[in-house]
Amino acid sequence: MQTDDDLKDLLGRVAAGDRDALRAIYLRQSTRLFGIAMAILRDRTAAADVLQEGFLRVWQRAGQFDPERGDGATWLSAIVRYASLDAARARGREIPTDDPSLGDTMVEPEAIGLIAADEEGKLLRACLERLPAANRQGIIMAFVHGLSHPEIAVKLGQPLGTVKSWIRRGLLNLRECLT
Amino acid sequence: MSALPDDPDELSMVAAEYVIGTLDARDALRVERALAGNAALRDLVQRWERHLAPLNTLVPQEAPPPDLWARIERAVSPARETPRAAASKPSVFLRLWQGWALGATAVAATMAWLALVPPQAAPRMMTVLVSDASQVAWMAEVDRGGGLRLAALGGPLGAPNNTAPEGRVLQLWALPPGATAPTSLGLVPRGSEQMTISVPAVTPVPGMLIEISLEPPGGSPGPRPTGPVLFIGRLSQAGPPV
Repeated sequence: MQTDDDLKDLLGRVAAGDRDALRAIYLRQSTRLFGIAMAILRDRTAAADVLQEGFLRVWQRAGQFDPERGDGATWLSAIVRYASLDAARARGREIPTDDPSLGDTMVEPEAIGLIAADEEGKLLRACLERLPAANRQGIIMAFVHGLSHPEIAVKLGQPLGTVKSWIRRGLLNLRECLT
Repeated sequence: MSALPDDPDELSMVAAEYVIGTLDARDALRVERALAGNAALRDLVQRWERHLAPLNTLVPQEAPPPDLWARIERAVSPARETPRAAASKPSVFLRLWQGWALGATAVAATMAWLALVPPQAAPRMMTVLVSDASQVAWMAEVDRGGGLRLAALGGPLGAPNNTAPEGRVLQLWALPPGATAPTSLGLVPRGSEQMTISVPAVTPVPGMLIEISLEPPGGSPGPRPTGPVLFIGRLSQAGPPV
Protein backbone atom coordinates (compact mmCIF):
# COMPACT_ATOMS: atom_id res chain seq x y z
CA MET A 1 0.00 0.00 0.00
CA GLN A 2 1.35 3.38 -0.93
CA THR A 3 1.80 5.98 1.71
CA ASP A 4 0.17 9.32 1.49
CA ASP A 5 3.64 10.83 1.18
CA ASP A 6 3.82 9.37 -2.32
CA LEU A 7 0.58 11.13 -3.18
CA LYS A 8 1.86 14.39 -1.78
CA ASP A 9 4.98 14.11 -3.91
CA LEU A 10 2.92 13.29 -6.95
CA LEU A 11 0.60 16.22 -6.37
CA GLY A 12 3.62 18.48 -6.09
CA ARG A 13 4.83 17.23 -9.46
CA VAL A 14 1.38 17.68 -10.99
CA ALA A 15 1.41 21.27 -9.77
CA ALA A 16 4.61 21.69 -11.79
CA GLY A 17 2.86 20.39 -14.90
CA ASP A 18 4.06 16.80 -14.84
CA ARG A 19 1.54 14.67 -16.73
CA ASP A 20 3.26 11.40 -15.79
CA ALA A 21 2.61 12.24 -12.15
CA LEU A 22 -1.07 12.78 -12.94
CA ARG A 23 -1.13 9.37 -14.57
CA ALA A 24 0.55 7.82 -11.55
CA ILE A 25 -2.16 9.33 -9.33
CA TYR A 26 -4.79 7.99 -11.70
CA LEU A 27 -3.31 4.50 -11.55
CA ARG A 28 -3.31 4.53 -7.76
CA GLN A 29 -6.54 6.29 -7.00
CA SER A 30 -8.99 5.93 -9.88
CA THR A 31 -10.70 2.77 -8.58
CA ARG A 32 -11.29 4.35 -5.20
CA LEU A 33 -12.40 7.67 -6.68
CA PHE A 34 -14.64 6.06 -9.28
CA GLY A 35 -16.31 4.16 -6.43
CA ILE A 36 -16.99 7.46 -4.68
CA ALA A 37 -18.55 8.95 -7.83
CA MET A 38 -20.60 5.78 -8.42
CA ALA A 39 -21.98 5.80 -4.88
CA ILE A 40 -23.40 9.26 -5.59
CA LEU A 41 -24.36 9.00 -9.26
CA ARG A 42 -25.09 5.27 -9.71
CA ASP A 43 -24.44 5.60 -13.42
CA ARG A 44 -21.13 4.61 -15.00
CA THR A 45 -21.30 7.13 -17.81
CA ALA A 46 -22.05 10.02 -15.48
CA ALA A 47 -19.42 8.82 -12.99
CA ALA A 48 -16.80 8.59 -15.75
CA ASP A 49 -17.60 12.16 -16.86
CA VAL A 50 -17.26 13.31 -13.27
CA LEU A 51 -13.96 11.51 -12.77
CA GLN A 52 -12.64 13.14 -15.93
CA GLU A 53 -13.78 16.53 -14.67
CA GLY A 54 -12.27 15.71 -11.28
CA PHE A 55 -8.87 14.91 -12.75
CA LEU A 56 -9.01 18.07 -14.83
CA ARG A 57 -9.54 20.00 -11.59
CA VAL A 58 -6.66 18.10 -9.98
CA TRP A 59 -4.48 19.11 -12.93
CA GLN A 60 -5.50 22.75 -12.65
CA ARG A 61 -5.57 23.06 -8.87
CA ALA A 62 -2.79 20.79 -7.62
CA GLY A 63 -0.90 23.97 -6.72
CA GLN A 64 -3.60 24.78 -4.17
CA PHE A 65 -3.07 21.51 -2.33
CA ASP A 66 -1.26 22.21 0.93
CA PRO A 67 0.53 19.09 2.20
CA GLU A 68 0.83 20.69 5.64
CA ARG A 69 -2.90 20.90 6.02
CA GLY A 70 -4.24 17.57 4.97
CA ASP A 71 -3.55 14.38 3.17
CA GLY A 72 -3.61 13.82 -0.56
CA ALA A 73 -6.26 11.09 -0.59
CA THR A 74 -8.70 13.31 1.33
CA TRP A 75 -8.07 16.20 -1.03
CA LEU A 76 -8.68 14.01 -4.08
CA SER A 77 -11.83 12.49 -2.57
CA ALA A 78 -13.20 15.94 -1.83
CA ILE A 79 -12.65 17.09 -5.41
CA VAL A 80 -14.42 14.05 -6.81
CA ARG A 81 -17.22 14.25 -4.26
CA TYR A 82 -17.95 17.91 -5.02
CA ALA A 83 -17.85 17.23 -8.75
CA SER A 84 -20.25 14.33 -8.22
CA LEU A 85 -22.57 16.43 -6.07
CA ASP A 86 -22.53 19.18 -8.71
CA ALA A 87 -23.46 16.63 -11.36
CA ALA A 88 -26.21 15.19 -9.16
CA ARG A 89 -27.60 18.69 -8.57
CA ALA A 90 -27.34 19.56 -12.24
CA ARG A 91 -29.47 16.62 -13.24
CA GLY A 92 -31.96 17.78 -10.61
CA ARG A 93 -31.25 14.67 -8.59
CA GLU A 94 -33.89 13.25 -10.87
CA ILE A 95 -33.05 9.67 -10.00
CA PRO A 96 -36.18 8.55 -8.26
CA THR A 97 -35.66 7.97 -4.59
CA ASP A 98 -37.48 4.68 -4.93
CA ASP A 99 -34.82 3.57 -7.42
CA PRO A 100 -34.50 -0.07 -6.40
CA SER A 101 -30.81 -0.16 -7.26
CA LEU A 102 -30.27 2.47 -4.61
CA GLY A 103 -31.60 0.14 -1.95
CA ASP A 104 -29.28 -2.62 -3.09
CA THR A 105 -26.17 -0.55 -2.94
CA MET A 106 -26.78 1.66 0.07
CA VAL A 107 -24.11 1.58 2.70
CA GLU A 108 -25.76 0.07 5.76
CA PRO A 109 -25.65 2.16 8.92
CA GLU A 110 -24.00 -0.76 10.70
CA ALA A 111 -21.19 -0.52 8.19
CA ILE A 112 -19.51 2.14 10.29
CA GLY A 113 -17.69 -0.78 11.84
CA LEU A 114 -15.75 -0.89 8.59
CA ILE A 115 -14.46 2.65 8.81
CA ALA A 116 -10.70 2.72 8.53
CA ALA A 117 -9.12 2.16 11.90
CA ASP A 118 -6.58 4.96 11.65
CA GLU A 119 -6.69 7.70 14.22
CA GLU A 120 -9.13 9.92 12.34
CA GLY A 121 -11.29 6.91 11.52
CA LYS A 122 -11.47 5.65 15.10
CA LEU A 123 -12.52 9.05 16.34
CA LEU A 124 -15.23 9.45 13.72
CA ARG A 125 -16.54 5.97 14.36
CA ALA A 126 -16.73 6.51 18.09
CA CYS A 127 -18.56 9.80 17.56
CA LEU A 128 -20.99 8.33 15.02
CA GLU A 129 -21.79 5.47 17.36
CA ARG A 130 -22.91 7.94 19.97
CA LEU A 131 -25.50 9.45 17.64
CA PRO A 132 -29.09 8.24 17.49
CA ALA A 133 -29.33 5.77 14.60
CA ALA A 134 -31.52 8.00 12.44
CA ASN A 135 -29.18 10.99 12.70
CA ARG A 136 -26.23 8.80 11.88
CA GLN A 137 -28.01 7.27 8.93
CA GLY A 138 -29.01 10.63 7.50
CA ILE A 139 -25.45 11.90 7.59
CA ILE A 140 -24.10 8.75 5.95
CA MET A 141 -26.78 8.84 3.22
CA ALA A 142 -25.88 12.43 2.46
CA PHE A 143 -22.12 12.06 2.54
CA VAL A 144 -21.75 8.68 0.85
CA HIS A 145 -24.69 8.70 -1.56
CA GLY A 146 -25.12 12.42 -2.10
CA LEU A 147 -28.79 12.30 -1.15
CA SER A 148 -30.62 15.57 -0.59
CA HIS A 149 -32.79 16.30 2.43
CA PRO A 150 -36.01 15.40 0.56
CA GLU A 151 -34.50 12.15 -0.72
CA ILE A 152 -33.39 11.15 2.75
CA ALA A 153 -36.86 12.01 4.07
CA VAL A 154 -38.41 9.63 1.54
CA LYS A 155 -35.87 6.94 2.30
CA LEU A 156 -36.41 7.14 6.03
CA GLY A 157 -40.16 7.65 5.69
CA GLN A 158 -40.02 10.82 7.76
CA PRO A 159 -41.21 14.39 7.25
CA LEU A 160 -38.69 16.69 5.60
CA GLY A 161 -38.48 19.03 8.60
CA THR A 162 -37.73 16.15 10.93
CA VAL A 163 -34.94 14.88 8.73
CA LYS A 164 -33.40 18.34 8.40
CA SER A 165 -33.28 18.76 12.14
CA TRP A 166 -31.95 15.23 12.70
CA ILE A 167 -29.06 15.90 10.37
CA ARG A 168 -28.39 19.26 11.86
CA ARG A 169 -28.46 17.88 15.37
CA GLY A 170 -26.26 15.01 14.28
CA LEU A 171 -23.70 17.41 12.85
CA LEU A 172 -23.76 19.56 15.99
CA ASN A 173 -23.12 16.50 18.13
CA LEU A 174 -20.38 15.36 15.80
CA ARG A 175 -18.67 18.70 15.97
CA GLU A 176 -18.66 18.60 19.72
CA CYS A 177 -17.41 15.05 19.80
CA LEU A 178 -14.76 15.47 17.10
CA THR A 179 -13.03 18.54 18.51
CA MET B 1 -29.82 30.99 3.24
CA SER B 2 -29.63 34.55 1.91
CA ALA B 3 -26.04 35.15 2.96
CA LEU B 4 -23.34 33.31 4.82
CA PRO B 5 -23.80 33.65 8.60
CA ASP B 6 -21.26 35.67 10.57
CA ASP B 7 -21.66 33.60 13.72
CA PRO B 8 -18.81 31.03 13.78
CA ASP B 9 -21.04 28.24 15.07
CA GLU B 10 -23.58 28.84 12.36
CA LEU B 11 -20.84 29.13 9.76
CA SER B 12 -19.49 25.80 10.93
CA MET B 13 -22.90 24.20 10.34
CA VAL B 14 -23.03 25.67 6.84
CA ALA B 15 -19.56 24.26 6.20
CA ALA B 16 -20.68 20.87 7.49
CA GLU B 17 -23.74 20.79 5.26
CA TYR B 18 -21.61 21.89 2.33
CA VAL B 19 -19.22 19.00 2.97
CA ILE B 20 -21.91 16.33 3.41
CA GLY B 21 -23.66 17.73 0.33
CA THR B 22 -27.08 18.65 1.68
CA LEU B 23 -26.97 22.30 0.60
CA ASP B 24 -29.04 23.02 -2.48
CA ALA B 25 -27.29 24.10 -5.67
CA ARG B 26 -27.60 27.81 -4.95
CA ASP B 27 -26.22 27.63 -1.41
CA ALA B 28 -23.46 25.22 -2.40
CA LEU B 29 -22.40 27.70 -5.07
CA ARG B 30 -22.50 30.52 -2.54
CA VAL B 31 -20.11 28.59 -0.29
CA GLU B 32 -17.86 27.66 -3.19
CA ARG B 33 -17.53 31.27 -4.30
CA ALA B 34 -16.85 32.46 -0.77
CA LEU B 35 -14.11 29.89 -0.14
CA ALA B 36 -11.32 31.74 -1.93
CA GLY B 37 -11.78 34.95 0.06
CA ASN B 38 -12.97 33.61 3.41
CA ALA B 39 -10.21 31.95 5.39
CA ALA B 40 -12.49 31.06 8.33
CA LEU B 41 -14.89 29.26 6.05
CA ARG B 42 -12.05 27.50 4.23
CA ASP B 43 -10.71 26.34 7.56
CA LEU B 44 -14.06 24.97 8.67
CA VAL B 45 -14.64 23.18 5.38
CA GLN B 46 -11.20 21.59 5.51
CA ARG B 47 -11.73 20.49 9.09
CA TRP B 48 -15.05 18.82 8.24
CA GLU B 49 -13.52 17.18 5.18
CA ARG B 50 -10.75 15.75 7.29
CA HIS B 51 -13.09 14.52 10.05
CA LEU B 52 -15.57 12.91 7.66
CA ALA B 53 -13.09 11.54 5.13
CA PRO B 54 -13.01 8.09 6.82
CA LEU B 55 -16.59 7.62 5.59
CA ASN B 56 -15.10 7.25 2.11
CA THR B 57 -13.66 3.91 3.17
CA LEU B 58 -17.22 2.55 3.33
CA VAL B 59 -17.65 3.01 -0.41
CA PRO B 60 -16.96 -0.04 -2.55
CA GLN B 61 -14.17 0.55 -5.04
CA GLU B 62 -14.98 0.18 -8.70
CA ALA B 63 -12.79 0.22 -11.79
CA PRO B 64 -13.54 3.07 -14.20
CA PRO B 65 -14.07 2.41 -17.93
CA PRO B 66 -10.79 1.41 -19.60
CA ASP B 67 -10.70 4.40 -21.97
CA LEU B 68 -11.05 6.98 -19.23
CA TRP B 69 -7.37 7.74 -18.82
CA ALA B 70 -7.05 8.47 -22.54
CA ARG B 71 -9.93 10.93 -22.24
CA ILE B 72 -8.33 12.63 -19.26
CA GLU B 73 -5.01 12.83 -21.04
CA ARG B 74 -6.66 14.56 -23.97
CA ALA B 75 -8.51 16.90 -21.63
CA VAL B 76 -5.33 18.06 -19.92
CA SER B 77 -3.43 18.54 -23.16
CA PRO B 78 -3.20 22.03 -24.58
CA ALA B 79 -6.13 22.57 -26.92
CA ARG B 80 -3.85 23.40 -29.79
CA GLU B 81 -0.48 21.81 -29.75
CA THR B 82 2.37 23.64 -31.30
CA PRO B 83 4.75 21.31 -33.08
CA ARG B 84 7.23 22.10 -30.34
CA ALA B 85 4.85 20.80 -27.71
CA ALA B 86 4.10 17.83 -29.89
CA ALA B 87 7.79 17.17 -30.19
CA SER B 88 8.21 17.06 -26.43
CA LYS B 89 5.28 14.69 -26.05
CA PRO B 90 6.51 11.17 -26.57
CA SER B 91 3.14 9.49 -27.01
CA VAL B 92 2.30 11.24 -30.26
CA PHE B 93 5.77 11.89 -31.43
CA LEU B 94 7.18 8.45 -30.85
CA ARG B 95 4.44 6.99 -32.97
CA LEU B 96 5.45 9.26 -35.81
CA TRP B 97 9.08 8.40 -35.46
CA GLN B 98 8.38 4.76 -35.07
CA GLY B 99 6.66 5.15 -38.40
CA TRP B 100 9.60 7.05 -39.77
CA ALA B 101 11.85 4.32 -38.52
CA LEU B 102 9.95 1.79 -40.51
CA GLY B 103 13.38 1.59 -42.02
CA ALA B 104 12.79 -0.69 -44.94
CA THR B 105 9.69 1.12 -46.09
CA ALA B 106 11.21 4.56 -45.85
CA VAL B 107 14.38 3.48 -47.56
CA ALA B 108 12.44 1.77 -50.27
CA ALA B 109 10.47 4.95 -50.79
CA THR B 110 13.64 7.00 -50.89
CA MET B 111 15.21 4.67 -53.39
CA ALA B 112 12.13 4.74 -55.54
CA TRP B 113 12.24 8.52 -55.48
CA LEU B 114 15.95 8.77 -56.15
CA ALA B 115 15.48 6.61 -59.18
CA LEU B 116 13.21 9.29 -60.58
CA VAL B 117 15.48 12.23 -59.87
CA PRO B 118 18.03 13.26 -62.43
CA PRO B 119 21.60 13.02 -61.07
CA GLN B 120 22.32 16.75 -61.32
CA ALA B 121 19.45 17.40 -58.94
CA ALA B 122 20.86 15.13 -56.24
CA PRO B 123 19.55 16.61 -53.00
CA ARG B 124 21.55 17.92 -50.11
CA MET B 125 18.97 17.05 -47.51
CA MET B 126 15.88 14.98 -47.51
CA THR B 127 13.20 13.40 -45.42
CA VAL B 128 10.16 11.24 -45.74
CA LEU B 129 7.01 12.64 -44.19
CA VAL B 130 4.91 10.06 -42.40
CA SER B 131 1.39 10.17 -41.11
CA ASP B 132 0.21 9.55 -37.60
CA ALA B 133 -0.67 6.07 -38.80
CA SER B 134 2.97 5.58 -39.80
CA GLN B 135 2.24 5.76 -43.48
CA VAL B 136 4.93 7.11 -45.73
CA ALA B 137 3.20 9.86 -47.64
CA TRP B 138 5.51 12.60 -48.88
CA MET B 139 9.11 13.13 -49.78
CA ALA B 140 10.75 16.46 -49.07
CA GLU B 141 14.20 17.32 -50.32
CA VAL B 142 16.43 20.33 -50.50
CA ASP B 143 18.40 20.84 -53.68
CA ARG B 144 21.86 22.36 -54.11
CA GLY B 145 20.37 25.79 -54.53
CA GLY B 146 18.48 25.64 -51.24
CA GLY B 147 15.12 25.10 -52.88
CA LEU B 148 12.67 22.73 -51.25
CA ARG B 149 10.80 20.19 -53.28
CA LEU B 150 7.84 18.25 -52.02
CA ALA B 151 6.48 15.21 -53.77
CA ALA B 152 3.55 12.98 -52.96
CA LEU B 153 4.45 9.34 -52.78
CA GLY B 154 1.56 7.64 -54.50
CA GLY B 155 1.14 4.00 -55.15
CA PRO B 156 1.03 1.27 -52.58
CA LEU B 157 3.57 2.94 -50.32
CA GLY B 158 1.63 6.07 -49.62
CA ALA B 159 -2.06 6.63 -49.08
CA PRO B 160 -3.73 9.11 -51.42
CA ASN B 161 -2.73 11.79 -48.99
CA ASN B 162 -1.91 14.62 -51.30
CA THR B 163 -5.48 15.83 -51.28
CA ALA B 164 -7.13 17.50 -48.33
CA PRO B 165 -10.76 16.75 -47.50
CA GLU B 166 -13.33 18.98 -49.21
CA GLY B 167 -13.25 22.49 -47.78
CA ARG B 168 -9.82 22.14 -46.18
CA VAL B 169 -6.30 22.71 -47.42
CA LEU B 170 -2.87 21.31 -46.66
CA GLN B 171 -0.26 23.75 -45.43
CA LEU B 172 3.48 23.16 -45.34
CA TRP B 173 5.56 24.29 -42.37
CA ALA B 174 9.19 24.29 -41.35
CA LEU B 175 10.50 24.24 -37.81
CA PRO B 176 14.26 24.74 -37.57
CA PRO B 177 16.03 23.13 -34.59
CA GLY B 178 15.67 25.32 -31.53
CA ALA B 179 12.85 27.39 -32.97
CA THR B 180 9.74 27.71 -30.85
CA ALA B 181 7.28 28.26 -33.66
CA PRO B 182 7.09 26.90 -37.18
CA THR B 183 7.17 29.06 -40.28
CA SER B 184 4.69 28.60 -43.07
CA LEU B 185 6.14 27.57 -46.38
CA GLY B 186 2.82 27.96 -48.11
CA LEU B 187 -0.18 25.91 -49.14
CA VAL B 188 0.12 22.65 -50.95
CA PRO B 189 -1.83 23.03 -54.22
CA ARG B 190 -4.89 20.81 -54.20
CA GLY B 191 -4.29 17.49 -55.85
CA SER B 192 -0.69 18.33 -56.61
CA GLU B 193 1.87 15.59 -56.81
CA GLN B 194 4.85 17.87 -56.69
CA MET B 195 5.67 21.37 -55.66
CA THR B 196 8.89 23.32 -55.53
CA ILE B 197 9.64 26.30 -53.36
CA SER B 198 12.75 27.81 -54.84
CA VAL B 199 13.37 30.26 -51.99
CA PRO B 200 11.82 28.90 -48.79
CA ALA B 201 10.89 31.40 -46.08
CA VAL B 202 13.40 29.71 -43.81
CA THR B 203 16.72 28.29 -44.88
CA PRO B 204 16.56 24.50 -44.68
CA VAL B 205 19.08 23.01 -42.28
CA PRO B 206 19.63 19.46 -41.12
CA GLY B 207 17.39 18.60 -38.19
CA MET B 208 14.64 20.91 -39.38
CA LEU B 209 11.13 19.49 -39.04
CA ILE B 210 8.92 19.60 -42.10
CA GLU B 211 5.24 19.34 -41.37
CA ILE B 212 1.96 19.40 -43.23
CA SER B 213 -1.13 20.50 -41.33
CA LEU B 214 -4.80 20.52 -42.21
CA GLU B 215 -6.17 24.06 -42.35
CA PRO B 216 -9.24 26.06 -43.34
CA PRO B 217 -9.43 27.44 -46.89
CA GLY B 218 -6.67 30.00 -47.44
CA GLY B 219 -4.51 28.41 -44.78
CA SER B 220 -4.03 29.01 -41.08
CA PRO B 221 -5.34 32.43 -40.11
CA GLY B 222 -2.49 32.81 -37.64
CA PRO B 223 1.25 32.30 -37.55
CA ARG B 224 0.95 28.68 -36.41
CA PRO B 225 -0.91 25.59 -37.56
CA THR B 226 -4.48 25.56 -36.31
CA GLY B 227 -5.37 22.10 -37.51
CA PRO B 228 -3.77 18.75 -36.80
CA VAL B 229 -0.30 18.06 -38.11
CA LEU B 230 -0.98 15.22 -40.52
CA PHE B 231 2.53 14.50 -41.72
CA ILE B 232 5.94 15.11 -40.28
CA GLY B 233 9.55 14.40 -41.11
CA ARG B 234 12.99 15.62 -40.08
CA LEU B 235 15.50 16.76 -42.66
CA SER B 236 18.82 15.01 -42.67
CA GLN B 237 21.92 15.19 -44.83
CA ALA B 238 21.63 13.17 -47.98
CA GLY B 239 24.57 11.03 -49.02
CA PRO B 240 27.26 12.37 -51.38
CA PRO B 241 25.92 13.16 -54.84
CA VAL B 242 25.98 10.21 -57.15
